[in-house]
Amino acid sequence: MTVRYNSIGYLIAEGFKSVFKQKKMTGASIIIMCATMFMFGVFYLLGENVNYVMKQVENQQGMRVIINDDATETQIDDLKVKIQQIDNVSTVTFYSKEDALASMKSILGDHQDLMAGYDEDNPFPASYFVTLTDLTQNSKVQEKILDLDGVDEISTDNDTIANLSKVAQSIQTVTLVLLSLLIVISIFIIVYTIKLTVYARRREISIMKYVGATNSFIRGPFIVEGIIIGIISAFVTIGIVALSYNAVLDRVLESSVIKSLTISLYGFSELILRVLIVYIILGTVIGVLGSMISMRKYLKV
Amino acid sequence: MIEFRNVSKKYNSSDNAAIHNATFKINKGEFAFLVGSSGSGKSTMIKLILKEEEPTSGKIIINGKDTTFLKPSKVPYLRRSMGVVFQDFRLLPDKTVYENVAFAMYVVKATPKHVRRQVPMVLSLVGLSDKAKVYPNELSGGEQQRVALARAIVNNPSMLIADEPTGNLDPNTAWDIMGLLNDINLRGTTVVVATHAKDIVDRMNKRVIRIDKGNIIRDEKGGYDGEI
Ligand SMILES: Nc1ncnc2c1ncn2[C@@H]1O[C@H](COP(=O)(O)OP(=O)(O)OP(=O)(O)O)[C@@H](O)[C@H]1O
Ligand SMILES: [Mg+2]
Repeated sequence: MTVRYNSIGYLIAEGFKSVFKQKKMTGASIIIMCATMFMFGVFYLLGENVNYVMKQVENQQGMRVIINDDATETQIDDLKVKIQQIDNVSTVTFYSKEDALASMKSILGDHQDLMAGYDEDNPFPASYFVTLTDLTQNSKVQEKILDLDGVDEISTDNDTIANLSKVAQSIQTVTLVLLSLLIVISIFIIVYTIKLTVYARRREISIMKYVGATNSFIRGPFIVEGIIIGIISAFVTIGIVALSYNAVLDRVLESSVIKSLTISLYGFSELILRVLIVYIILGTVIGVLGSMISMRKYLKV
Repeated sequence: MIEFRNVSKKYNSSDNAAIHNATFKINKGEFAFLVGSSGSGKSTMIKLILKEEEPTSGKIIINGKDTTFLKPSKVPYLRRSMGVVFQDFRLLPDKTVYENVAFAMYVVKATPKHVRRQVPMVLSLVGLSDKAKVYPNELSGGEQQRVALARAIVNNPSMLIADEPTGNLDPNTAWDIMGLLNDINLRGTTVVVATHAKDIVDRMNKRVIRIDKGNIIRDEKGGYDGEI
C-alpha cells in the first residue's frame, strides 16, 4: 500500500473514489446542478447584454433641454454650469438656434421651400444636448433640469430608455432569484449525495473516530467529493452555455432589428472568464457547504 | 490511569440511571474486568471512558486530566491514548489485514516509514504475520479479533479498552484472546475488559469491578462472584 494518508493526494484520491462509487447519484446531482447553473447563466448573460446595450443607447441618446427663447446669453451660460453640476450628467453640448435650423434643413433635403423665410425669423429654439453616465437616473436628472431657470422643456426619446431600464431591472431580479434557487437546490442535492457516501462509509468513519482521527481529517475526502461535483458541474455548464450562447448570438446578430440599430452584443469570449469564475466559486462553495452539512450528524460522537 | 468520581449517567430516553454514583480508580498498568449481567451498565461505562457519552454528573479523569469540560476538538487526542476493541471486531471488509492495521496509523497521520516498521511488529505480536495480505472474511472470528487487537495497540496507546472482546468466540479462542490481552498488559498497557464471561474472569483472577443495575457492588481481586 503506497497511499499517503496525510497528503493532498490522499484527499483527492478518496474524493474521486466516492464520486465513482456513487456514479448514479453523482451523475444525477451533476445534472441537476448543471440545469440550475445553466438557468442562472442564461439570465446572467442576458442581464450583462441588456446593460451593455443600455450603455450604448445611453451614449447615443441623451436628452434635449430646450432653452427659453427670451433667455439672455448669461442665463444660457449659467444654465450650462448648473446642468453640469447635476449628478450623473456626462456631457452638455450647446446647439444654437442656427444649429437647429441647419440640422432641420439638412433633414428636409430637397424640400427647402418649406422653410422659406425661416432664416429671418428662426422658429427653432436653442438647446443643450445632455448625456448621462447612468441611464437609470434619467427621470431624476430630468426633474432637476426642469427646476432650473431658463429651461422651457425637455424632449427625449424617453420610452426606449425607460423600457430598457425596466427590462434590466426585471432581469436582475430573475437572476437573483435564480441564484438563490441554484444555491438552495444544489446544496440539497449535494448534501443528499454525500450523505449516501457517508452512510456507505459509516464503519470507516466510526473506526477513524475511535482511533483518534480529527474531524477535519475525516471530513477532508467528503469535502473534496463535494468540490469535485461542483467543479465538474461548472465546466460542463460553461460548455453548454458557450454553445448555446454562440448559436443564439449568431441568430440575433443576423436579425434585421439589430442590424438596423448601431448596437453590438458581447461576444462570448468577453464573458466566458467571468461566468466560469462565478461558476467555479459557486460550485466550490456549494460543494464545501453541502459536505459540511451532510457530515454534521456523523461527527458528533 | 482512569478515575471515576461520583459518576452518574442517565440516558435522555430512559427514566432510570444507567450508571449510579460510580467511584473507582484504575491505575496505570493495571488489568481490570468490568462485569455484570446484561443491561447492568458495562458498555455505558466504556462509552463514558471513551467520551462517546457524557456523564450526567461527576468527573472522569483520564491520565490525570479531567475530561468533563474537554473541548470536542480535543477528544480525538484523548482517544489516541486508548485502543478500543469490540465484540463485533469492526474491521473494514475491503481492506487486507495489513491495511486495516495501517489505516489506524494513517488516520493519525503517521509517516509511511513508521507504518512500515510498526504494522509487521504488532501483527507478529498477535500471531498473524502470515495473514497480512488476507481479507477479513477469510479469517476466523478469533483471527479477526486479533486483527482488531493489533489495530487497537498499533499507535501505542497507554490504555486498551475492550467491550465483550470474546462475546462472539468459542471458549478456547476466547481464552487465547484473553492471553493476548494479558500479554499486552504485561508490556505496560492498562487494560479494561467489560465482559459477562464468568469462567474466564474466574480463571484470570484479576481485579473485578462488578456492576448491578448501574451500581458498583464489588471491587476487588478475584473471580466473578468473589474471592477464589
Ligand atoms: N443509547 C441509549 N439510550 C438509552 N438507554 C440506553 C442506551 N444505551 C444503553 N441504555 C440502557 O442503559 C442500561 C445499561 O446498558 P449497557 O449497554 O451499558 O449494558 P451492558 O452492561 O453493556 O449490557 P450487555 O451485557 O447486554 O452489553 C440498559 O438499561 C440500557 O437499556
Ligand atoms: Mg454491552
